[in-house]
Amino acid sequence: METYLYIALFAPLVGSLFASLFADKPKTIITGLVTSALLFVSWVSSVVLLLHVAHGEAVHVKMMDWIQAGGLSIPFGFNVDAVTATMMFVVTTVSTVVHVYSMGYMDHDKSFNRFFAWLSAFVFSMMVLVMSDNFAGLFIGWEGVGLCSWALIGFWYHKESASWAANEAFIMNRVADLGMLIGIFLVYWNFGSLQYDVVFAQVDKMDPTVLMMTTAFLFIGAMGKSAQFPLHTWLADAMEGPTPVSALIHAATMVTAGVYLVIRANPLYGAVPEVSLFVASLGAFVAMFAASMALVNRDLKRIIAYSTLSQLGYMFVAAGVGAYWVALFHLMTHAFFKALLFLGAGNVMHAMDDELDIFKMGGLGKTMQATMILMTIASVALAGIYPLAGFFSKDKILEAAFAGHHYILWAVLWITAGLTAFYSFRLVMLVFFGEERYKIFGYHPHEAYKFMLWAMSPLAVLAVIAGFFEHDFVHMIKAVLPVEEFHVSTGTFWFLIIVTQAIALGGIAFAVWKYSKGGFSEKWRETFVYKLLFNQYYIPKIYDEYICKPYAELSKIAWKELDVRVVDATVDFIATTIYKSGMVSRVVQSGNLSNMLRWMGAGLLILLLAAILYSPVR
Amino acid sequence: MDHILSVLVFFPAIAGLLGFVVSKESIRAYGLSVAAIEFLLSLWLWFSFDGNYPGFQFVEVAPLIPSFGINWYLGVDGISLFIIVLSTFITLVGLIALSIEKDLKNMIISLLFLEMTMVGVFVALDAIVFYIFWELSLVPMLYIIGAWGGNLRIYAAIKFFLYTFAGSLIMLVGMLVMAYLYYQATGVWSFSITEWHRLILPADYQFWLFLAFFIGLAIKVPMFPFHTWLPYAHGQAPTIGSVILAAVLLKMGTYGMVRLPLPMFPDAAVHMIMPVAVLSLIMIIYTAMVAYAQEDMKQVIAYSSISHMGVIVLGTFAMNPEGIAGSIYLMLGHGVVSGALFMLVGVIYDRRHTKLMSEFGGLAHVMPRYATIMGIMVMASVGLPLTVNFVGEFLSLAGFYKISHTMTILAGTSIILGAVYMLTLYKKSFFGEVTNEANKELKDLNGKESMALWTLVLVTVWLGVYPKPVLGPINTSVESLVSFMHKKAITKEAKETIRPTVIEREAK
Repeated sequence: METYLYIALFAPLVGSLFASLFADKPKTIITGLVTSALLFVSWVSSVVLLLHVAHGEAVHVKMMDWIQAGGLSIPFGFNVDAVTATMMFVVTTVSTVVHVYSMGYMDHDKSFNRFFAWLSAFVFSMMVLVMSDNFAGLFIGWEGVGLCSWALIGFWYHKESASWAANEAFIMNRVADLGMLIGIFLVYWNFGSLQYDVVFAQVDKMDPTVLMMTTAFLFIGAMGKSAQFPLHTWLADAMEGPTPVSALIHAATMVTAGVYLVIRANPLYGAVPEVSLFVASLGAFVAMFAASMALVNRDLKRIIAYSTLSQLGYMFVAAGVGAYWVALFHLMTHAFFKALLFLGAGNVMHAMDDELDIFKMGGLGKTMQATMILMTIASVALAGIYPLAGFFSKDKILEAAFAGHHYILWAVLWITAGLTAFYSFRLVMLVFFGEERYKIFGYHPHEAYKFMLWAMSPLAVLAVIAGFFEHDFVHMIKAVLPVEEFHVSTGTFWFLIIVTQAIALGGIAFAVWKYSKGGFSEKWRETFVYKLLFNQYYIPKIYDEYICKPYAELSKIAWKELDVRVVDATVDFIATTIYKSGMVSRVVQSGNLSNMLRWMGAGLLILLLAAILYSPVR
Repeated sequence: MDHILSVLVFFPAIAGLLGFVVSKESIRAYGLSVAAIEFLLSLWLWFSFDGNYPGFQFVEVAPLIPSFGINWYLGVDGISLFIIVLSTFITLVGLIALSIEKDLKNMIISLLFLEMTMVGVFVALDAIVFYIFWELSLVPMLYIIGAWGGNLRIYAAIKFFLYTFAGSLIMLVGMLVMAYLYYQATGVWSFSITEWHRLILPADYQFWLFLAFFIGLAIKVPMFPFHTWLPYAHGQAPTIGSVILAAVLLKMGTYGMVRLPLPMFPDAAVHMIMPVAVLSLIMIIYTAMVAYAQEDMKQVIAYSSISHMGVIVLGTFAMNPEGIAGSIYLMLGHGVVSGALFMLVGVIYDRRHTKLMSEFGGLAHVMPRYATIMGIMVMASVGLPLTVNFVGEFLSLAGFYKISHTMTILAGTSIILGAVYMLTLYKKSFFGEVTNEANKELKDLNGKESMALWTLVLVTVWLGVYPKPVLGPINTSVESLVSFMHKKAITKEAKETIRPTVIEREAK
């Protein structure tokens, strides 16, 4: 099994290095083919591992030592248990699809080879992140995916907005990474190790304050990577990157790393109900907060990005209320349908010459039937309608919240389920149905390449059927994660399902009805609420005005006023003072005889006075 | 093998002297071969070094002034070994990439002399020998800045010289007092650093002596508020000068801290953790901000050097093996990475004769290889895992976490602020469209530059992925240093703060 582990882990790296050899050469399809093939190999190995660990065993290897200093010993160690295997399955599935898809999507890009080098490098980092058996290894992957995300958001670096968004993402993630790093230090100094098994074995005898600090700081790290409020603004801006990147990194895999961290560290979080409650509350808040922004946005990709944010909120609620397996389950189903949605959006963008404003589209269903069907499937799954995958996982989250007596959380998520259904179908309606507004702007939409659609189909299948594997999933995950029965009566159970389905269907119906009639009136755009939501609650503006600009100003002051005028001027002042006093006293040594005699006389006088004053015999 | 250290010290100097008679045409090849031989010698030193023995190896003792106990006393341990290898390595790589045409002969001879002084400082175990090499290192540098520098070169060179010279004079006073105290205690004179380590002093003596040593070393580091000579020196120095200054000369300060005041005055050092940490924090945060405000690429990297040196000092004063080993590792990492960054700035300066970021933009289009290496080094500089800087930074901060939670968080902002100024630099110079006509026809890296820079990239990644061969010997020596300090400390506070791993292991 160890061989499979190494193959799964290193195949993407090999692909990345291979593609990077061609980085500055003109496009060659070989890079795309080789990386995709290697990812398929990695996928096969992941599936083998998944089947192997499904019976509750884990595969553990220690490759070599990494850092050893003082009492700290960090190996490159990898551990594949059910949770990791699930993550590996998700990551390799989505990334194989995305790689194949990208061969079509990036067809005309002159940096084709560089794209695949980075994309595979990302997969490798993500694999390190989920497979590592210690916090430091996780951090390697954590920063690695950050680096690849930076390079891929800013892939079209000639665009100012792209490189700006890339830097924003990197820096904002670094803010969170500091929290994570502090969390790791706390783990080390209190538990004496960074290995998961050693740390989790000691949870019971640990001081509650320590546990609280540790989990809180680790969660700050998770907040950055999973773009939770207030570190969420980078995710929407990250849509500057190529769409396959958005599908893979900013929907299916990297952004779920925060959720993975909480799931992985469940023994810690399970011991600190306060922090867990905070995680759940923040998750519920973000779910609704992000969904509200998705309601009015006009940008095709940003709507889906906000939806991702909102769904990440759901996952955190599940993890926060202790239903870790539900969080993981939703993570998985979400990865499938959200990646599908993004890839569909990619087709639309191609058809529309990279136009993103959904109000300039409409009626695309006629020319892009396959894409329409795929995106509708994804949207239905996202809305959580039976029997698609989203239903099973999302419904479980609501049930878990309700069963844990978190009625407010449940209510928030319930309303958000309605909002989700609404904005998903607002998008579908505006893009694929209704008036063909694009004609005014002179676009000539066309369907994507066949093989791109075929590449998307596995995701579509999974988005439909993944939910039915719930029982197998629970059975497999039991060995690693706590699986508790939710104590709700059968009546309540059915009641919950019915009200959730009702609000989701209601949202869909309302969107279909409203946008088949031409949508909202112009007046809606004048209202305060619309402006607030459209400007993302003015948060990016606030960050820019009250953090970025003051920091730049302060830096200028620190340099020009403080460093040059005070610190350095003081040094120069001392130097010039010495120099000047030398110039002044130089007069004494003029060589003029009468002058010298005068100084001699003065000196003699001073010495005599001193002799009199200090003389022991008076 | 008995005199390998003396050979290491004097070989470049003697070869440099002989360089005067070498013809102009072959001086480059001559310099390169001397540097290569020196580098191979240092590698040989490394391979013959026993990484499991914590004490000094290859020790040489020969009397210089016996009546005052001044000896030609050399030795290396895990702490100094790799800084020596770094010095010879950076000199070689710097020579490979050297693009200066004017007075090449003088430049190469200066560099070889500089190499002698650098190696001399790191192998010296006698305070006077240490001091002589320490001061001698100023001379070639003064000449390099003053003769090949920019417009303000004389001002910058004199400032560099006088400032560090003033600092080391204070240290010299400290050394003399220390020798006198040793004489009072034992009846014989000694300037041996290892003998001084064994002298236990009362707390107030320790305090003042610590201060004397610390100020001298702090100016070299350079610590806030003694740092202002550095931006001038970097701003005016030619590329090779900046590379060596940043990569090796600054390390003399931090190396000196580990070698001198810490084991000599453990109680005073523990007593002074807070003030030193505050200065380090100011260095880290304040200079990171100043770096962000710069308009000149080289100045960004100069200020970033100061910021990173802050983390090194912090790690040193963590007083535990994690922190000190980390700070030494970061010295190496910073040496490689900042050396590479200064070299990279030199590449573009050679082509455009300007370093202003506003002059560039879109360089990634015209110079993709250059942009790639710059990208790797930018990421190494911000401390990405699997690059050399991460290991050092991680351990330094992890070590200091034991001292203070809040201060580590503040120091940790270096990973954020570092990303801010480095990524801004990268974005301004390399991303976007090529707008400046002068940049459209720029040539990508040539053979010499590629060779030097890829070597540095290789080392950066290797030491980040597999630090063991280097970190192992460092750790062995540091662990024994820390337990020594722990045993030597007289106050309860110091005994508690200095936490050797060995004792913890035994307790388990």
